[in-house]
Amino acid sequence: MRSVLWRRFDWPLLALVLLLSGYGILMIASALSGNQVLAVWPWRQAGFLLIGMILLFLVAVIDYRLLGSLVYPLYLLMLLALVVLTVAGTVSGGAQRWLALGDFLLQPSELIKLAIILVMSYYLSTREERMNNLITPLVALILLAPAVVLVYLQPNLGTALSLLAIGGMILVVSGLRWQHGLLMIAAGAAAAVPAWKYLFADYMKTRVMMFLDPTAVSAADRYNVDQAMISIGSGGWLGRGLFRGSQSQLHFLRVRHTDFIFSVTAEELGYFGAVVLIILFGLLLLRMTRIASMARDTFGRLIVTGVTTMILFQFIVNIGMNLSLLPVTGIPLPFISYGGSSLWTMLIGIGLTESVAMRYRKIEFE
Amino acid sequence: MKPTRNRAQGRLIILRLIISLAVLVLSGRLWQLQMVDGETYRVLADQNRFREVDVAAPRGVIYDRNGQILARNQPSFTVVVVPADLPEDRVDQEPGAVTAAVIDRLLELLARPQDAAPVQPTPTPAAISQSDAALGGPAVPIMAIPDRQPWIRPRAEIEQAIQDGQLGGAYRPVTVATHIKAPTAFLVAEDAVNLPGVELVLEPIRDYPSGALTSHIIGYMGHVPESELAAYTARGYSQNDQVGLTGLEATYEEELHGKDGLQTIEVDVNGRKIRTVGEPEPASPGNNLMLTLDLNLQRAATEALQDALDGSQGFTKATQGVVVALNPRDGAVLALVSLPSYDNNLFAKGVTTEAWHALTSDPDRPLFNHAIGGVYPPGSIFKIIVAAAGLQENVLTTRTRLGDGFDGNNDGIIWLPNESYPWDRTKDQAFYSWIHKYGYGHGFVTIRDALAVSDDIFFYQLGGGYLDKFHGLGSEAIGYYAREFGLGQTTGIELPGESRGLVPDPKWKRLNWAENWLTGDTYNMSIGQGFVLATPLQMANATAAVANRGFVYQPQLVDHVTDAEGNVVRTFEPILIREAPVDPDNLDTVREGMYGAVNWPNGTAPRAQLPGIAVAGKTGTAEYFRDEDNDNQADRDEKGNLPTHAWFTAFAPYVDPEIVVTVFIANGGEGSTAAVPVAARILQTYFQLDVPAQTAETPTAPGD
Repeated sequence: MRSVLWRRFDWPLLALVLLLSGYGILMIASALSGNQVLAVWPWRQAGFLLIGMILLFLVAVIDYRLLGSLVYPLYLLMLLALVVLTVAGTVSGGAQRWLALGDFLLQPSELIKLAIILVMSYYLSTREERMNNLITPLVALILLAPAVVLVYLQPNLGTALSLLAIGGMILVVSGLRWQHGLLMIAAGAAAAVPAWKYLFADYMKTRVMMFLDPTAVSAADRYNVDQAMISIGSGGWLGRGLFRGSQSQLHFLRVRHTDFIFSVTAEELGYFGAVVLIILFGLLLLRMTRIASMARDTFGRLIVTGVTTMILFQFIVNIGMNLSLLPVTGIPLPFISYGGSSLWTMLIGIGLTESVAMRYRKIEFE
Repeated sequence: MKPTRNRAQGRLIILRLIISLAVLVLSGRLWQLQMVDGETYRVLADQNRFREVDVAAPRGVIYDRNGQILARNQPSFTVVVVPADLPEDRVDQEPGAVTAAVIDRLLELLARPQDAAPVQPTPTPAAISQSDAALGGPAVPIMAIPDRQPWIRPRAEIEQAIQDGQLGGAYRPVTVATHIKAPTAFLVAEDAVNLPGVELVLEPIRDYPSGALTSHIIGYMGHVPESELAAYTARGYSQNDQVGLTGLEATYEEELHGKDGLQTIEVDVNGRKIRTVGEPEPASPGNNLMLTLDLNLQRAATEALQDALDGSQGFTKATQGVVVALNPRDGAVLALVSLPSYDNNLFAKGVTTEAWHALTSDPDRPLFNHAIGGVYPPGSIFKIIVAAAGLQENVLTTRTRLGDGFDGNNDGIIWLPNESYPWDRTKDQAFYSWIHKYGYGHGFVTIRDALAVSDDIFFYQLGGGYLDKFHGLGSEAIGYYAREFGLGQTTGIELPGESRGLVPDPKWKRLNWAENWLTGDTYNMSIGQGFVLATPLQMANATAAVANRGFVYQPQLVDHVTDAEGNVVRTFEPILIREAPVDPDNLDTVREGMYGAVNWPNGTAPRAQLPGIAVAGKTGTAEYFRDEDNDNQADRDEKGNLPTHAWFTAFAPYVDPEIVVTVFIANGGEGSTAAVPVAARILQTYFQLDVPAQTAETPTAPGD
């Protein structure tokens, strides 16, 4: 049984994850080189990876079907953590995103994504026969709503949007009727105008406006974006060389080790290095959809769909921001950007995916 | 289950499509940025990191005629604070607390005693002359100059400067300390993490070893003034460059500055230099100036003049004075003293607001060069020009006797009829000779004696005539000769700020006073009073023209110019402005009169006699109104006398003179008692006479 289980463990997926994470540590080392205070951070990231791998295997070993009864209490716990955060959270960068746990800063908004994936997947997998009824997707949205609102209030627009994307994709894959989908899109569009007027904070509007009309915003607001473009553009075919990008090493590029780490990669390793990174992501994501399609039940398939969407969303939004295709949001690049919470969330997600992969339909090996 | 599974499989295709599309779009955009527009961004990236900076050319060194250094560049560890780079205030602390902490730490480091600092060995003259030879200086033994001591700006001034800087020009560095010793500099450098905004610069600082002694000649440097920014930038200067602002530093700015080199450097986002790129375009150093000035003579003149000011017996204490020493053979300036003076090293460090206010609000105007900029009535020393004019115009001969007694009384008074009421003798105007206060006059004398005793009555008559007894020169003739001797125009010395003075004429009086020119005006003009105004330098130059029998040279301070390798670029060329239109024979008569003033029994300047050297000279005691706006109530002493400036102008040796000395003491009292001894001391130094001048034994004859 155990050997059979491990035979179905998806080793190519793990290899892709390790390649990406290793790539990330390398780029973090380059982004932070010359900074003696932060010199240990690449090693810390390696430590996060090590712990993350243990988490991955622990989660993979657990049969995801056993989680079914746990999802609601887990979700409630995460919501509670978010509430606590708004009260006692450590102020960081103007947004309350961190929860001090001892001397370690935990980001509950990262873990809430996993909770959302589990809770929506579980709910929709149990309501598979009732998808014709509009009530089912509406209840799913109601489950999603408190998490989105709390994260949004932090304020963390990027993560709130990623929760919406995850929930939406799970809904779609669970068999959302197209009429219901259209209805929801129409309602969302109708709500967008008042939301812009009353719900969006000024910094959010600035970022969106900056993206829509680059000339209308101040040079200071555009600085990071402009420097990212210069960094990427000056990379050329093979880049300026690792640890040798002038934009990165002379600090013209800011927040290099997190939000703009893709720009560092593109500058120092060029088109070749950046495209390799993008292709690695593509392979990883497609490998995950394969696992989703082979899942033995709907719950597993939706879980993998959610994890895939989570990674995909951040992949698109982060690199899109680096390439000035999308507005600036503080969303890290999965596996690559520095940060323990983000990496662990991703690795636990991969662990869930492996858990599903290890429990394919029996028919395959009869 | 089956249809649901199929539907789910179908829906997963949407996910796969999104993934594929994302990979394609992102790769495509990447292609566009890196492959299509790559060159543009590469240029932008280079613009970010490369800066072209000037490599300052070493500024030329200024030496006196014996090779003593008057201005040089001393490499100095300088600590500056850039206000813009100081840490910002923190929310949990009071405004300015963070900056204060940085300054606290910096001052603590600077004040730390350096036990390890080795005692600076005094350089041997040989070593110095060697190093100067490398700089292009003369290979002659020169005075050893000790290293300058560290200088640290007081804390209050630092904070004030930073505050000023934050209001505007936050990137202009504020100098905190200069000339700090190497161990201290290393302490500061090592602690850079705790000292944001503090920078250590190894830069040449303009150093003036002779300081206040020569500051009026050398001048000082400073940032390009706002008003002249455009002119300087057109010549390739940048706003933060130091330029000569006054003195020779300003006049010879181009010569001294040399040509800056260019260096490309790589900088980080904060503008800090990371490394240099490529080979720099080298700077070509500025040229060195060798002055005609003799620092030893300058020092002697300054001391003598200062002593005279300190011991002055004038109307009130005298505080301003001038000494000019020229070589009458070529116009070379040997000494040029204007007191009070100031230390031009103050400006090299960046003068503080307080020090600047002190200098500019001092009523004696230490920043003002009285020798070339101050205009004063020349008094009796003007008579040498009137005498030369009278002889040349054949108004009189060497035998003509004029003077007191046409009216029957040898009492030192001459009466001039009122021009409006010539018949009413009660309205006659009295003109006094200085000797009047002793109760008698000089009687009838020839021109030589008139110069020797400084007979005012004689010169009233020579200039303005007397009734029908004598036909004088007239104001226009006097004015003509005065201008020919260089008055009423700048001399052209290589210093900024020269005044023209004033040679009045009837037209000038009508225009400025709306009055006719009267004979009385000519009388006053004849003895250098009234409207005549001249700078001490002009009077020295006029004396030189008498001494050399007619050649008016342009006074020059720079003897020759060498390049950095020591090759002479330009040699000294005397510049003859003109030959005065006076026959040498007539000037010889004037010279004899000046000889008499010093050497004849009743001469006014016996204290200028020197053993072995024949000195000739002319004293002057010029009355002036202190309150020029209110001359009816001018402040007079208890006897009703106006305050007087003391003058003495001399040349020596009498035969073939090689030096002219002009001494001027504002409010100094009588020329014969105040100014003459100063000139005597200077001549003594010049001729290296050990014996003190016979001032003590010389009878205190009445003098002018």
